[in-house]
Amino acid sequence: MDPARKALLESLEGKARQLRRHVWRALRAGGSGHAGGSSSAAELLVALYFHRLRLRPQEPDWPGRDRFVLSKGHANAALVATLVLAGVVEESVLDRFYGFESPFGMHPDMKLPGIEMCTGALGHGLSIGVGMALGSRLQALHFHTFVMVGDGELHEGSNWEAAMSAAHHRLGNLTVLVDYNRICQSGPLAEVMDVAPLAEKWRAFGWQVVEIDGHDLAAVADALDAVPLRPGCPSAIIAHTTKGKGVSFAENTHLWHSNNVDEAVYNRALVELGVP
Amino acid sequence: MTTPPPMNTPAPLRSATWRSRSANQTRLAFGQALLELGQEDPSTVVISADTQDLLGIRSFAHDFPERFVELGIAEQNAIGVAAGMATTGLHPFVCAYAPFITARSMEQVRNDLAYARQRVVIGAAASGISLGVAGGTHHALEDLALMRSLPNMTVIVPADVTEAYRATLATRDLDGPVYLRLGGRVEEPPVGDLEAPFQVGRSVQLRSGGDVSIIACGALVSLGLQAAALLHGEGIEARVINMHTIKPLDRDAVLRAAGETRGIVTAEEHHLCGGLGGAVAELLALERPTYMRMIGMPDVFAVIGPTTAVREKYGMSAAGIARACRSLPGLR
Repeated sequence: MDPARKALLESLEGKARQLRRHVWRALRAGGSGHAGGSSSAAELLVALYFHRLRLRPQEPDWPGRDRFVLSKGHANAALVATLVLAGVVEESVLDRFYGFESPFGMHPDMKLPGIEMCTGALGHGLSIGVGMALGSRLQALHFHTFVMVGDGELHEGSNWEAAMSAAHHRLGNLTVLVDYNRICQSGPLAEVMDVAPLAEKWRAFGWQVVEIDGHDLAAVADALDAVPLRPGCPSAIIAHTTKGKGVSFAENTHLWHSNNVDEAVYNRALVELGVP
Repeated sequence: MTTPPPMNTPAPLRSATWRSRSANQTRLAFGQALLELGQEDPSTVVISADTQDLLGIRSFAHDFPERFVELGIAEQNAIGVAAGMATTGLHPFVCAYAPFITARSMEQVRNDLAYARQRVVIGAAASGISLGVAGGTHHALEDLALMRSLPNMTVIVPADVTEAYRATLATRDLDGPVYLRLGGRVEEPPVGDLEAPFQVGRSVQLRSGGDVSIIACGALVSLGLQAAALLHGEGIEARVINMHTIKPLDRDAVLRAAGETRGIVTAEEHHLCGGLGGAVAELLALERPTYMRMIGMPDVFAVIGPTTAVREKYGMSAAGIARACRSLPGLR
C-alpha cells in the first residue's frame, strides 16, 4: 500500500478509537445515550472529517465549506466527538451532554459551531441536504453536501421525496451515507419494518450506489474519494455496519440503541476500546 | 449558533408605484411581487410544489429559470429544501396550498424553519374556505393556529391584492420564517389606502369609531367595513382595524381599542380556536379584560359549497359581524 495511504488509515483508526472514547465519556456525563448508532457511524465520521470534507476548523461558517448533515441526529454524541477531534468545539463540552442549558443535547443543535442544522426528527436531513446542494450549485460555491441517514430512518417517507428530487435535479454534489446497522429502537429492521432491498431502492430513485463495509476505513475512504460516482447523479454510500461497534456488550442489540451509562458501564467500555 | 452568511443588500424597491394589472387575487399578487423581488434581489429563489399556476409564478420561472425550483407534490421536502437553501444565503419563497404546507409539513416548518430560524417565506394560497367546493380536506381553517404557535414565526394575512403585494415585498426585511396567508379564486374588494405603506406588525385603522372595535384580517376586513356601514345607519360607530399581522400582534392597537371602545369583535376566516380572535383574547385577558365577540369558524368542519355561501352560513358576513357588535353589553 502507498505509504501515505497507510499513514492516513492508521491516523483515521486512531481517530475512530478516540471518537468512541469521547462518545462513552459524553454518555457517562449524561447518564445515558445512544451508544449503538453513535458507534456504528464512527469510521464514516472520521473518514469524512479527517479525509474528505473541505473545512476550515477556525472558520466554521466559511461559505465554501463542504456540508455535513447528521440526519440520524440521535448519534449526536458521535458528531460532537468528531467536532471536538477536529478542533471546532472545546473538549469540555463532552462533559455537558444533557446538561441544563447546554448546547450539547441528544440531537444536533446549531447552538454549537460546526452543526449545520438542528436535526434528529427523522426524515428531515436529506431534504435539507438537497437544499444545500441546490444552493451550492446556484451560487457557484462548489461545495459538496453529505448527509448521513439511519436505516430505520428510511421508514420516513419524506426521505423518498427528497431522494426523488435530488435525482430529478441532477445533484451530483450530494452524497447520502446510509448507516446500515440493521437494528432500530424496537429490534431488527427485518422484524420491525424491513428496508431491504436497499441498494435497489436508491437505484430505482435515480441514485448511483456503492456498498461498503462501514468499519473498513480503506473502503470508506475509497468510497468518499469516488463520489460523485457519476457526474450529474447523486451518490449513495450504503455502509454495512454493526450497531454498538467496539464494545462487545453493546454490539448488535437494540437494547443499546439508547441505554443508561454509569461509572461501571463506562469503565467496562473503555477497557474494550483500548488506549487512545 | 452558526451565523448565516450576510444577507444581500439590494436596491430599493419600486413597489410604491405598483398597481395590479392582472392580479385580482391575493395569491396572484404574491407571484407578481416575486417577479419584482427576483429582479431586485439575486438571492430570491422560488420553490414550487406543483403550484406554478396557483400562485402565478410562471413569469418568475420564465425570467429566472435558474432560481426557480420545481419539487412536485411533496410539501415536506419543499420545506426542508427551502431550509437547506436558506443556510447557504438564499432567500427561498415556498409556493404551496395552505392546507397541505401547514398541516402536512408542520414538523418541517417547526424544526427546519422556526427552530433553526431560517429565512424562508411560505406563500400559502387557498387558505380558509377559499376552496369551499373542494370540501373539508382542502379547507385550511387551523393554519393560523399552527403557525402562530411557533416561536420565531411571523404570520401575515393580507386583506387585498395591494396588501398581498406589499406584504410579499416586506418579507425581504424580515429575519426568520414567514407565513403569508393567501386566498383562492375569490376576488376580495380593495380596502384602505392604496398608497399607504405596509409595515409588518403595525395594523391599519380603516375607520374611526368610539362605540365598538372590529378587528379583522384577510377577507373579513372588507366585510368588517360593510358591517361598520350597517351599524352607522343604526347610530353605532365602529372602529375597523385591519390586523394584517397576526404575529407579532399589534398590541398597542388592540389595547387602545379596548380602552377607547366598549368592546371588541374579531373577524377571520379561521377556526375560533387559535387564530386572530385567540391572539386578541390572550392579550386582553392578561392586560385589559374586555367584552369580546369572535367571528370565525365554529368547532365543526365546514360544509362543502361556494366560499361566500359557506362564510355566511357560519356568520362570516357583514350581517354576522354587525350582529356580534350589537350583542356586546351596552350597545343595544
